[in-house]
Amino acid sequence: MFSRLVLRAAPAALRSLPPPVTVSVLHTTRPLHTTQQCLAPLPPLPEKGGEVRHGLIPEEFFQFLYPKTGVTGPYMLGTGLLLYLLSKEIYVINHETVAAACILSVIIYGVKKYGSDVAAFADKLNEEKVAKALAVKNEAIKNLETAIEQEKKEQWRVEGRSYLFDAKRNNIAMLLETNYRERLLTVYNEVKKRLDYQVALQNLKRQKEQDHMIQWVEKNVVQSITPQQQKDSIAKCILDLRALSKSAQAAA
Amino acid sequence: MAGRRAAIKAIDWAAFAERVPPNQRAMFNALKTRSDALSARLAALPEKPPTIDWAYYKATVAKAGMVDEFQKKFSALKVPEPVDTQTAKIDAQEQEAAKSSAEYVQASKARIAQYEQQLQKFRSMIPFEQMTYEDLHEAFPETRLDKEKYPYWPHKPIADL
Repeated sequence: MFSRLVLRAAPAALRSLPPPVTVSVLHTTRPLHTTQQCLAPLPPLPEKGGEVRHGLIPEEFFQFLYPKTGVTGPYMLGTGLLLYLLSKEIYVINHETVAAACILSVIIYGVKKYGSDVAAFADKLNEEKVAKALAVKNEAIKNLETAIEQEKKEQWRVEGRSYLFDAKRNNIAMLLETNYRERLLTVYNEVKKRLDYQVALQNLKRQKEQDHMIQWVEKNVVQSITPQQQKDSIAKCILDLRALSKSAQAAA
Repeated sequence: MAGRRAAIKAIDWAAFAERVPPNQRAMFNALKTRSDALSARLAALPEKPPTIDWAYYKATVAKAGMVDEFQKKFSALKVPEPVDTQTAKIDAQEQEAAKSSAEYVQASKARIAQYEQQLQKFRSMIPFEQMTYEDLHEAFPETRLDKEKYPYWPHKPIADL
């Protein structure tokens, strides 16, 4: 009888479970198409799903029953339900039960032992996908930024074009100036050459005249020496030499 | 003398060299060597030729009047300045360069605006963890699968997989 009461109470209780909108009961806060406005982009999925006891029964059920029945309430409900089903043979135990029990135990053992590893592996796959996409995006951002840098640099370079034209104009000015100076120098050199030529010509003439005169004087002098004068001068020279040698012998 | 000494501006070769892009280095070097050669030549020549010592020549040269004649003709001589034919061309080139560089800067600015726009789009994207496939196709249109052209999975040519 109590079990029937519980059975009738349970669906009523379940029906009176508040809809997911009012936040106080649920852990998640996803509105889930309850209002007219749609949230875009979608808010991120919560990190963990709703808490669950024994892998099956949500925690909210226990919280719901706690004020009325305390901590053991849901367990008593569960045990009662189970016994009712078994005793009234609403659930019949047959060979399928044994098969189910074996299969379930194997599954639960497998999940408990390897569940976290498989989850980590799946997470890693997802991470890699996301990381690849992120890498692509970051590289695209970097490339765009360097492209902008390059463009700015090229603009700065273009500003320096005035240097080029100044250099060209300078070259021209230098060429003209050089040319002009060369011309002045040529004029000066030519005039100087001519004047120097005149001076040199004069000097040469004078030199030649001098030499000629000297030669002529010498020739005349040599001619005017007669043979008699030559003999006399030689005899005089000999006498002088003798006297000199005597004085030299006396001194030594 | 008007027109002479057409303002040889001092050029800052270092600053100039900074602005030369690497693919035009050779031209810049050629220009620089040419300029240096010219300025060396210019520096080697004296600004004024030395003056002729007329008194000495007048005293030395015997021919009467020759030195005087030379002196008169020399001081009356005007050396013509070389005519500048190229500066006009250079100015024309400069105008053209100004115009083309203005165009280039315009185009460059347009490109920068484009890049900025794309950068903005990338920066304001939602993180990949919160994207759905629809969002991904909006952000990167190239990931959209063409279901009309290739109605059967994988909706793209096999070679593209």
